[in-house]
Formats: sequence, structure tokens, C-alpha cells
Amino acid sequence: MKWFKKMSLLAAASLVAVSTLVGSASAASGLSGKITINGSTALLPLTLQAAKEFQKLNPKVRIAASGKGSVTGPQAVKKGIADIGACDWDASMDVPGFKAFDGQVANKVAVIPFATIVNKNVKVNNLTTEQLKGIYSGKITNWKEVGGDNADIVVITRAFGSGTRVNYQAKALGGGDIVKKDKNYKEVGSSGDMKTAVATTPNAIGYIDLVYVNSDVKAVSFNGVAPTTDNVINGTYKIWAYGYYMTKGQPTGATKAFIEYVQSPKFQQGSLKKLKFIPISAMR
Amino acid sequence: MSISARPTMPDKSGSLAKPADGRFGRYVRARFADRLFKYYFLFSILALCFVLGLVIFFIGKTALLTFAHISLADFFLSFDWTPENESFGAAGIIVNTLSLTALTLAMAVPVAVGMAVLIAEIAPKWLRNMMRPVLDLLVGIPSIVYGYLGLTVLIPVLRRMSGENLGDGLLAAALVLALMVLPTICRISDEAISMVPKKYREAAYALGSTRLQVTMRVVIPAAGRGIVAAVIMGMTRAIGETMAVVMVIGNTAQLATTLFTPASVLTSNIVMQISNVEFDTTWNYALHMMALLLLAISFLLILLIRYLGRKGSDQT
Repeated sequence: MKWFKKMSLLAAASLVAVSTLVGSASAASGLSGKITINGSTALLPLTLQAAKEFQKLNPKVRIAASGKGSVTGPQAVKKGIADIGACDWDASMDVPGFKAFDGQVANKVAVIPFATIVNKNVKVNNLTTEQLKGIYSGKITNWKEVGGDNADIVVITRAFGSGTRVNYQAKALGGGDIVKKDKNYKEVGSSGDMKTAVATTPNAIGYIDLVYVNSDVKAVSFNGVAPTTDNVINGTYKIWAYGYYMTKGQPTGATKAFIEYVQSPKFQQGSLKKLKFIPISAMR
Repeated sequence: MSISARPTMPDKSGSLAKPADGRFGRYVRARFADRLFKYYFLFSILALCFVLGLVIFFIGKTALLTFAHISLADFFLSFDWTPENESFGAAGIIVNTLSLTALTLAMAVPVAVGMAVLIAEIAPKWLRNMMRPVLDLLVGIPSIVYGYLGLTVLIPVLRRMSGENLGDGLLAAALVLALMVLPTICRISDEAISMVPKKYREAAYALGSTRLQVTMRVVIPAAGRGIVAAVIMGMTRAIGETMAVVMVIGNTAQLATTLFTPASVLTSNIVMQISNVEFDTTWNYALHMMALLLLAISFLLILLIRYLGRKGSDQT
């Protein structure tokens, strides 16, 4: 019965492995526990970096972080799946399209700047709120109407519910609408797709987190102000938003310690800046 | 239960346990192993059925909640899908799905069957032996690779050729999908054609047919059911494909009136929106309804394959 022995050995081995895993998770002394973080993909790089550093300081805390979409953050918190829901907007208040999540506390962790980007063949360097409103609502359809070449504007946007879209609509379009159905209109699923689409489509316009902007696309000024971190900090560039960690009520225990670590000057001035986010203290 | 096989102990243990004597003789052990395997197989199949049942149950349960808020007619007959304004008309998306599949098959089937005929009937042996592994390899390429090639290679070409601004749309998606299902359809048709008995061809040649006549009037009709099954296999793959389509179709929930209208199909619409909706909303239910619809469509297609397969085996 060689196979039988093998099978039972295998079963026993896996049982031991599983039980040790479970056991190590529930070991308790000092600061310990498990923090589950879900939500925004824009904040995920920051979360992962913070988790790595935090776990080095507190080896008994286990952090599981994943990113899906902004609204999944507060939703997972509401359902009790996650302790922290990363969200690109303050989910404890109503925003266009999403109702407030009652009983949740928004903890500011970073400042996220956004930029309007265009394909490199577009000659326009500056767009005003009114012009952007016109373009995204479908009233302005040709680049020559805003000082560019005679060419159709190709509008690229994120799917409804994206945190980037919520913030861009609120800050850059003054709450204005985004056209839904048109020939020159395309929806993409992520920031990476947005950059690829704008970079490869002539006459395209889109919007993205500032950290994604590189030489593949051209970032245009907003009301005459260039999208740079300095301009965000000195208050002239208006398209930015806080990134939030949503918790059910005030955070406690390991979750509280983790959020405090992310908000601490050491992390804010160090790793957070390296990841091209802006420290929250800079805005005060 | 006819699941149990006959006692088939490995030779090694059989020879170790000399003659069948004592309580743990060969016969007892063989029967024990036999039982164990029987229950193991039974467990496997039940586990699978259980999971399938759960999938249908949970998707269906959530999906049917849709109709607590909107009527059947609103969902299936309205062309206006703007969930943020409470319009959940999926008709446009359903029509897009069907037209994308039809367009894909219209492009893929003639080429695939032609290739199958070449491989099975005409090509010399060395070419045949080379083509079959290559096609098998193509079947296994992940769809995201096809989608990426579509996005970076095909779309710019289409944009240049058509003069459109975007290039995304049904045509781009259908081209990518056609390329994807081509090897599947080709390999299965190839097998069906190879199964046609040699005597059919010999009889036809004996009557003085040309090679074209033999192929078109004898071999393809005789392999007809197999080819239809191949086409349906390709179709299920095309209908359910998500990643490749999402990258090239434009993802705009509108009826595709031209080949270059950015559009949305059931799969792409679900994957684009599901992570951005709240759990307990009609929007979420409506997306589940779309998933259920996809499930229903592929079930129907699979039933069709089984039906055709049975008929085919009755005939020969």
C-alpha cells in the first residue's frame, strides 16, 4: 500500500502546515493581529510600502493588502471583510454617484494630484475649467475650438465609479458631466490603460494620477497652472484630492497603529514622498 | 454504480503478496482499493456538481433581484445602459455580443475549415506533422496576449486604414477573436475530417470525381457534424472571451451601429464595472443578470454540441 502511505503522509503534512499557519496568525503578545486592507489601486503602492516597513517594526502584525477599485474599500469595511478600506474620496460623505457610508471614519493618508493629459501630437498647452467642461460634456469636439489643430478630440475616460474619475469630475470639471455615448469616446479600466490609450491614440485627451505622467504623454496646464507637486502645495493647482483609509468607527489596536504610522512624519516625508505622493502636512 | 472499475492492483504489490491467503490477501486488498477509488471518484464528481450548483444558485439569486426594481422589458428591450441614471437597458449590449460573435465566426470559420481541409486532405505528411503541434500551441496562448497585440499592433493599423480617430470597436474585437478561435475550430474540424472513412474517398474517386469534388461533396458533408461542433466550440470561446475584447472594443455602452463604434459586450461590460459598483444596488444585480445570461447562452450551446454529437455517432 505504498500509495496509501504516501497519501496519508501528504495529508498529515498539509494538516500540520495549515495548523501552524493558523497558529502563527493568532499568536498574541505586544502589538499583534491581522490587518486586512482593500480598495483603491491608486493608493496600493503606498499601502504596500507602509505595510512592509510597519511589519519590520511589528513582526507580530500581519497585513494583507489588495487593490480592486475605490468603492470596494468602504464596501469591504462595511461588510466586515476588511479593517481598512483605501478610497480616493471621503466615503463618509456623499459624492456624485455614491452615497455616504454611515458610521465610517475617513483617515487622511496622502495627497494625490491628478493631471489632464493629451497625446503628444496635440499642440494645446493649457485648458480652462470651461474648456474641459465643454470637451467632456461633448460640446467642444474639435481641437481648433480650444486653440489647437483642426482635428476631432478623442475623449478617453475612466469607468464610472473610478476614484480618479470622481475626483477629476469634482475638481477639474466643477462637478460637470462626462459624455456617455459618442463615436470618439472610450472607457478604460485602469490608470495604466489610460496612459497607454492616450499615448497611442492621436488627438486623445484623458486624465490620470500625476505619478503616472511621463514622456509618453503630455500633461497640460489647468487654468494656466502647470501640474506639478510644487503648484499643488502652494495652492495654485487645484486638481488634487486626499487619499483616505476608511475604518468602521475610530480605528483601534493594530489598525490604529498602522494608520498612525502612515500618517507619521517619518513615513510621510520619507517613503511617501519617494512614491511621488504629497504629504498631508504640506497642505495645512 | 457502474463507476467502479475491475480490481486493478499494480503488478508490484500483486507479486509481493504471494497467494491469496490470510485476512489481507490480495483479494481483500484489491476490493478495498477498488472501493476507495470508487468513493474517491464519486466524491470528485459530486464536488464538481456542488460547485456548479453553487455558481448557478448564487449568480441566479442575485441576478433575479434585478427584476424587483426594473421590469423584464426594461432590461431586455431598452437600449439605454446608463446605470448612474437608473437606466438598465441591456438590449444594446446583448445585440453587440451576438453581432460580435457572428462577425467573428464569419471571418474565422471559412479560413479555419479551409486550413483543416488542407491539413487533413492535401498537405504532405511532413507539413501535417508540423502544422498540428503549431496549432495546438496557438490554442494555448493566453487571451491577454492576443488582446495586447490587438491593442498595440492591430488598432493603429485599423486607425490608419479607416481614417477613424479611435479604431476601437466591433471590427477590431472580431479580428482579435477570429485569430483566437481559428486554431480551435481548425483542429477540431481537422480531426472530424480525418475520421471520414477512406472508402468514401476511394468510392468517389472510382466514380471519376476530381479532388475538389471529393472534398466538397463527400468529405466535408461526411464530416459535417464534427465541423459544426468545432464551430460551436469556437463560438463558446468567442462569447465568453473577456480580456482580449476589453482591450480593443472601446467599452462604451452603446449599440454598435458601425464597425468602428466603440461598444461594449456582456463580458467586457461586467469586467469594467463590477469592481466599481456597490453591493446592494440594482446596478450590481443587473451585472449579475448579464453573467447569468452568459451562463445560459453557453449552456444552450453545450447542449447543442451534445445533441449534434449524439446524432453524429448514430449516423456512422
